[in-house]
Amino acid sequence: MALLTVRNLHARVAGKDILKGIDLEVRPGEVHAIMGPNGSGKSTLASVLAGRDGYEVTQGEVLFDGKPLLGLSPEERATSGVFLAFQYPVEIPGVGNLHFLRTALNAQRRVRGLEELDAMDFLQLAKEKSKLVQLDAAFMNRSVNEGFSGGEKKRNEIFQMAVLEPRLAILDETDSGLDIDALRTVAGGVNALRSPERGMVLITHYQRLLDYIVPDKVHVMAAGRIIRSGGRELALELEEKGYSWLGLQDGKTAAPKGGEARR
Amino acid sequence: MTPALAHYLDVASRFHAADASAPAWLRRVRSEGLAHLERQGLPTNRDEAWKYTRLAPLAEGMFLPPGEARAAGRSAAGAEGTFIPAGAGRSATGAEGTFIPAEAGRGAGRLATPAEGTFIPVGDARGTGALSAVVERLGLPGPRLVFVDGRLAPELSSVAGLPRGLTLKPLRDALREDGDLLESVLGQRALAGDSALTALNAALLEDGALLRLAPGTVSEVPVQLLFLTRGDSPVLASPRILVLAGESSEATLVETYAGVGAGATFTNAVTEVTLEDNASLHHYKLQAESDTAVHVSGLHVRQGRDSRFASHAFSFGGALSRNEVHSAFAGEGGDATLNGLYVGRGTQHLDNRTALDHAVPRCTSRELYKGVLDDQSRGTFHGLIRVRQDAQRTDSRQQNRNLLLSESAQADARPQLEILADDVKCAHGAAVGRLDAVALFYLRSRGIPRAEAERLLTYAFAREVVDAVPAGPVRDSVEGLLALKLPGAARREVRA
Repeated sequence: MALLTVRNLHARVAGKDILKGIDLEVRPGEVHAIMGPNGSGKSTLASVLAGRDGYEVTQGEVLFDGKPLLGLSPEERATSGVFLAFQYPVEIPGVGNLHFLRTALNAQRRVRGLEELDAMDFLQLAKEKSKLVQLDAAFMNRSVNEGFSGGEKKRNEIFQMAVLEPRLAILDETDSGLDIDALRTVAGGVNALRSPERGMVLITHYQRLLDYIVPDKVHVMAAGRIIRSGGRELALELEEKGYSWLGLQDGKTAAPKGGEARR
Repeated sequence: MTPALAHYLDVASRFHAADASAPAWLRRVRSEGLAHLERQGLPTNRDEAWKYTRLAPLAEGMFLPPGEARAAGRSAAGAEGTFIPAGAGRSATGAEGTFIPAEAGRGAGRLATPAEGTFIPVGDARGTGALSAVVERLGLPGPRLVFVDGRLAPELSSVAGLPRGLTLKPLRDALREDGDLLESVLGQRALAGDSALTALNAALLEDGALLRLAPGTVSEVPVQLLFLTRGDSPVLASPRILVLAGESSEATLVETYAGVGAGATFTNAVTEVTLEDNASLHHYKLQAESDTAVHVSGLHVRQGRDSRFASHAFSFGGALSRNEVHSAFAGEGGDATLNGLYVGRGTQHLDNRTALDHAVPRCTSRELYKGVLDDQSRGTFHGLIRVRQDAQRTDSRQQNRNLLLSESAQADARPQLEILADDVKCAHGAAVGRLDAVALFYLRSRGIPRAEAERLLTYAFAREVVDAVPAGPVRDSVEGLLALKLPGAARREVRA
């Protein structure tokens, strides 16, 4: 059975239609890449799946593990196994990174009927998982993302994913703005977290990410729809010919992105 | 004349007459206080300094000084609830007082509701055993004087372990034994002519504390003054605290105020601090009165050359709380830090007023006041910084930030700078806001339930002020009290 099923999803932000009929199916163990020019609706899709406020679904449905997802609160989605790596991870002064993550993990464990981890056990787990993305202890003790560089923030997202062990991970432009070393580190972390039970959706603007994380399926999104799907070769072709090959303009200089909350 | 003013004048006159054997100078202090009170009347909203805060509860409460209150104990009168004040400018909402009980539809992330109007949960707090338990709970290691309903409780106090050069004395003893000294210092920093509440305190002066540091004395342990009100009588406690810090001395003074039973009480405290050259005082005020109490305090400081003064004022309790801090630089090179945190719920009204007088050059002041306001509570901050013409090279910063947790909570921020010198650095800022929606979503997207996420962010907002308290028993005490108000919030995070 599919892990994630998106059917004819339409969504609007601030009265503007952004998603205009998305269909997507992700099975356990699969890695899907969603590519597309700026303004195509990629990040809106991620936000709608994670349950961010301000996104109105006007048509269609989303099933996670066969059950409707859209009626759930963000914390319920997280607890059922959906994880969103943010394009712009949020700085939260005054909330310690480790404390935050332990609170999150224990909140999820509570709902699943598992025993909560005490501080010592959690620390062991965090230390082990942090090796995946080479995040050193100093970062773990600072406030959430406060004063982190762009690369550190993205590594912190993958670290959180490693600790929370979601069944579906949506990575929203996790590769954007990273130097090659940081990209390798992040990709290495993601690859280590691939598993037969876990699905992943990589949302990216750049084909470069796919040199390091090899997807099972590639989708090209434009103007709120998936206009083409294929295997890895689709990404290579896109790299070679550019978005204009599909008759698309890269919206970098075009209209501002619809409704993306940027801090 | 209002009935309330007539009541307090009457009360003060009776008190004055009853203590005819007091030394002449003390009788003069009291009668001058009485005269100033009569002349000024109780403050109203028309007074600039009381623009945001109505003292109506004083009129409805008709509080009595410790001696009379004890005689008129509420249980004897059989009229529990008679003296419940009405909060700030609101009408009374029933016998159980002015706080809002837990109600349907209340956001789960909100502040805790008080249990029976008492902030410190102690069960039956009226017995001596329970009082000991409270002292155990709120007491800090080190010397302390404990006051119950405005009077010293020697059996709960301990002045063992005082360092050489430090004198800590109940004021009632000092009034008799150190008349010459007190006559020359009492009322020098806090002028009865400046404030009706200071005048009322002077008119009813009977107890409090004298803390004196000989030059060069460094006290490592905090000295604590713990003021408890039991709530079973309509007591008006008027503690007066005098701090005389000799040259190059250093000390930490903690004033803790707590209500241990539901019922209206009125604390009107005045603290006068004189820092000689190069002296240092860390002053903490932990106000955790019951949510039916009226609490007013004025801290008045004079700073000598190169002196350091740090005030940390935590206002958690009280139907009506007024926290005043005034510091004046009298010598160059002085440094003042004024920090404050006020956390309100129900219909609490928490008022803060600070005034810094940069009268001389090259002094530094840093000020950070933060408010967390839930339900229909209201917080106010009015911070005056005066930089006089000669006070060149003044470096002053003031910040006031407020977090509103409900639609009907309210915050008034009023920074006020009067700068007459030209070579100065002065900055101020004020903000009123709500929890950051983006941060809230981030936390929830990781599985943290909304209520818990709100608490995390609320505590994160408040902790900046808590973290300014050096690690140790005082901070632990602050965190303990804050946790009662923000239950479930993070205390300390895990350290790797």
